Amino acid sequence: MSVLGGGGFDVGATPSRNRPHSNLGVLRIAVFALFGILIGQLAYMQLWNGSDYAQRSRENHIIEKNTLPTRGLIYDRNGEPLVENVGVYTATILPELLPEAPAERYKLYLQLERLVGVPALEVQAKVKQAEDDHRGYIEIPVQKYLAKEQALRLDEASTDMPGISLSVKPGRNYPAGPEFSHVLGYIGDQTQEEHDVLRGDGYALNEPVGKSGIESRYEKDLRGTLGVVAAEQDAQGHLIEALKTTAPIPGNGVSLAIDAGLQRYVAELLQDSMAGDQVNGDATMAAAVVMSPKTGEVYAIVSIPAYDNNIFNEPDKHGDEYDALLQDTRHPFLNQALWASAPGSVFKLVTAAAALETGRITPETGRDVTSKELDVKGVNGQLYPLYDWRVHGYVNLYSAIAWSSNIYFYQASCGILGENKGLGKDAESSAVILGYYARALGFGSPTGIDIGGEADGGIIPDPAWKARVHAPDNPEDREWYYADTCFMGIGQGDVLATPLQVARMTAAVANGGKLLTPHVAKEIVSPDGKVIRAITPVAKQVPVSAANFAAIREGMHQSVGYGSPGGAGARAQVPGLDIAGKTGTAEFFKADGSKAQHAWFTGFMPFNDPEVVVTVYFDLGVGGDKAAPIAGKILKYFNDNVKP
Amino acid sequence: MTLAYRRTSVFRGWDRFDYLIVLSAVLLVLYGLILIYSGSARTYDGPIASFSNPVAKQALFALTGIAAMLLISKLDYHYLTHYSWVLYGISILSLVAILVVGQSSYGSTRWFDLGPIQLQPSEFAKLATILLLARFFSEHGGDAKDLKTLVISLAIVAPCTILVFIQPDLGTSIVFAAIWLGVVVVAGVSRSHLLVLGAIFVAVLPFAWTFFVADYQVERISVLVDPEQDPLGAGYNVRQSEIAVGSGQLFGKGLTNGEQTQLRFLKVPTKDFIFSVLGEELGFTGALALFALFILLLMRGIRAAQIAGDTAGQLVAVGIVVLILMQTFINVAVNVSLFPVTGIPLPFVSQGGSSLVSVFVSLGILQSIIMRHRAYRQT
Repeated sequence: MSVLGGGGFDVGATPSRNRPHSNLGVLRIAVFALFGILIGQLAYMQLWNGSDYAQRSRENHIIEKNTLPTRGLIYDRNGEPLVENVGVYTATILPELLPEAPAERYKLYLQLERLVGVPALEVQAKVKQAEDDHRGYIEIPVQKYLAKEQALRLDEASTDMPGISLSVKPGRNYPAGPEFSHVLGYIGDQTQEEHDVLRGDGYALNEPVGKSGIESRYEKDLRGTLGVVAAEQDAQGHLIEALKTTAPIPGNGVSLAIDAGLQRYVAELLQDSMAGDQVNGDATMAAAVVMSPKTGEVYAIVSIPAYDNNIFNEPDKHGDEYDALLQDTRHPFLNQALWASAPGSVFKLVTAAAALETGRITPETGRDVTSKELDVKGVNGQLYPLYDWRVHGYVNLYSAIAWSSNIYFYQASCGILGENKGLGKDAESSAVILGYYARALGFGSPTGIDIGGEADGGIIPDPAWKARVHAPDNPEDREWYYADTCFMGIGQGDVLATPLQVARMTAAVANGGKLLTPHVAKEIVSPDGKVIRAITPVAKQVPVSAANFAAIREGMHQSVGYGSPGGAGARAQVPGLDIAGKTGTAEFFKADGSKAQHAWFTGFMPFNDPEVVVTVYFDLGVGGDKAAPIAGKILKYFNDNVKP
Repeated sequence: MTLAYRRTSVFRGWDRFDYLIVLSAVLLVLYGLILIYSGSARTYDGPIASFSNPVAKQALFALTGIAAMLLISKLDYHYLTHYSWVLYGISILSLVAILVVGQSSYGSTRWFDLGPIQLQPSEFAKLATILLLARFFSEHGGDAKDLKTLVISLAIVAPCTILVFIQPDLGTSIVFAAIWLGVVVVAGVSRSHLLVLGAIFVAVLPFAWTFFVADYQVERISVLVDPEQDPLGAGYNVRQSEIAVGSGQLFGKGLTNGEQTQLRFLKVPTKDFIFSVLGEELGFTGALALFALFILLLMRGIRAAQIAGDTAGQLVAVGIVVLILMQTFINVAVNVSLFPVTGIPLPFVSQGGSSLVSVFVSLGILQSIIMRHRAYRQT
């Protein structure tokens, strides 16, 4: 009998007489309840949240990668490129893709050591750190700034080195020379704080960003637009299909007003002229600004000492150089053209404008300076000695500017006690009036030049300022004295101004009252050379009449002194050029307490229709001797070589 | 052999054979073949008619399973209950053996590797336990009202449950527990007994958790609670299956069009996570169709329990219904993030020979019970 017989349990089965149970409803309920739970959850996931999950599914397999645009170049006014784009090569490791076996990994590290010179143990430590932090899916840089040959070798070898790759980022090289560093600035990686802001503008984290100078100010123009490569990839990161590619749009170029030849010439000239006289010794710092009094374009802006901004291309490699520059007491990173110091007699142009405009003097108002010392008697009977630097004899406004008479400008600002009053009814109101014209001519606030690096813009003191600033250290010295107004009138005392402010004021004098905003950039140009927009900052009108400025120009003309004996600025004379100018020799106390002088010269040419303004500054020296001849040479070079 | 003899032996009973059970099972297998095809489309690129083709392989296992079902349906299930102690003994031995020599996969030891075939003794142990439970109750008053009977029945289920649990296979041990619960409920357990046992279980649970639950299970369970905790580690499967199912929405992305499946974000898409493939590519409606087939099958199984000729047959049928129900529920629950990841295949649908053949064997036993209900009563 076969077991397949099936005629009941006739073989070896266990008989049972029990009646089957009938309570199977509970089983049916269980079936529907459990499937009900599943259907409920499915409905919740697929119908209620379905579109969210669909979105997450898309994000899961569609990856978007940015392609960085080519950064725009920066050119001088003649089209000479001042920067070039280079690749910054970095060896990177993605720990996730490394082989599992430690021995195999170490073999890769050793291979990497041979290729780029980074110790295998160091790489091992970095990878371990990343994996311990559960960041194995993030690329870690192991060696930055590879030389091009190293990079090429690594690129080739890395195809057989899982997890190791070469990353290329856009970088800059600055071939133009250190004299351009303060103007151009540099680019670098975003800091976390910067990225928090820039992310809003769509910046990728690996995108370099301008850190100072033109690179920073015109970042939006230079940057270009990120491209996007979207692709479908599988769970292992293999590319399945390229979906869409948006090519990056290269950044626009910036065409500067700077004339590279002039910039280099001025830098070299200043550098070669640092040797000084017996009183002051060698100059340590210097600056010069050459700009247009018509448009505010800056043809050259030079600061000595300079530094090489290429050190920021490879910051890790140049740490020592960077530290040395930071330690340098001459502050090479500061732009001396934007750094304020006592302007001295160049400020007399401001005093002249204030005195003429308020009617305190006319150009014909004169004074006989018969002695280098004039004692005036104060209200309390005390004698104040007023000094001049030479016995000028009889001077009017023209000759007072030409010979830079101190006593004449005391008379025009604070007044000679007992003889005449100053600009206002007393010393304090005179200072306030002078301050008003100084500010109208651009002192006391930043000029707004488009390379950054301007501090608060120097100091134009007045009684309120003195009470505020001097009070904490020196309660005795918080009062505004007659002498304060007198010193202010000749650009001494607490007055501080930058070479750029002086140049800007000179431009306003030269053009008859337009206060321009100096600008280094001239135009934004597309990669194919079309002008996208011209840089034309707004100008302000100075509340001084054209006639009064003409009188001041006449004084400056006489200072350089063509066809006549000449004044303090005679050494700026260049045969064939019609130059006008004003010298300045500002006394100041050095850190060690000894007295020294800043040398200034500011001028313009040609006298009749000024095209160019030049301002020269040395931290140590006498204006007429040291700065004036340099200004003359610069103007000569300009006349011969620069097309305005 | 005469024709008449054949009529009374080999061909007897087929008029009572439940063809709806076979129909729903075969439709589920076909559904599974389609999903296996889609789930392996990007990984398998060999010829269609080859036994390395997972679809062909599964189809072959299905035919083997159906043959086994037909054979067993002809066999009187009382033979099986009679020898259930032997089957049970073999089960316990093999479950112990596997802990010593078995093959591990995904941190759990469940397989005997016999060359081309992998044997999973817990599949066999489930049926052996059902048979032994049924025999035990039918020999001891036919019900579970007596506390002593109840405790002994618990002792029958406990060894397998514990051995499976320490493999570790949380899901299968829950299936064992559910089978016991289902059988004793139908066998008329008293509510107070059940409550007392439940209370003891709840009291013991924390200790069991401390001493017996493997770290990987703790991790899987905590990952279920918060899959984002470790998105690239243990939470990966949970998150990917969740995205796959959810993104399928009402009608799915279409067969072989699911990115989660085709781009291999889903792990084991033809096995434990085959439901995620279905959810992604065929959507909510596809899932409802699958559930309808399972419900039809289970209802026919409950019908078998209802018409069974004796307690033993009835309890065997109940055990098999609970077995299929719980495996289905736990597998789908894992796929829809209601249950921690545990290696339970979807009956009839998931790729895998052991599971498919053994589930057809259980259907064979069901058929045997159905085909014999009248024969018993007539005697």
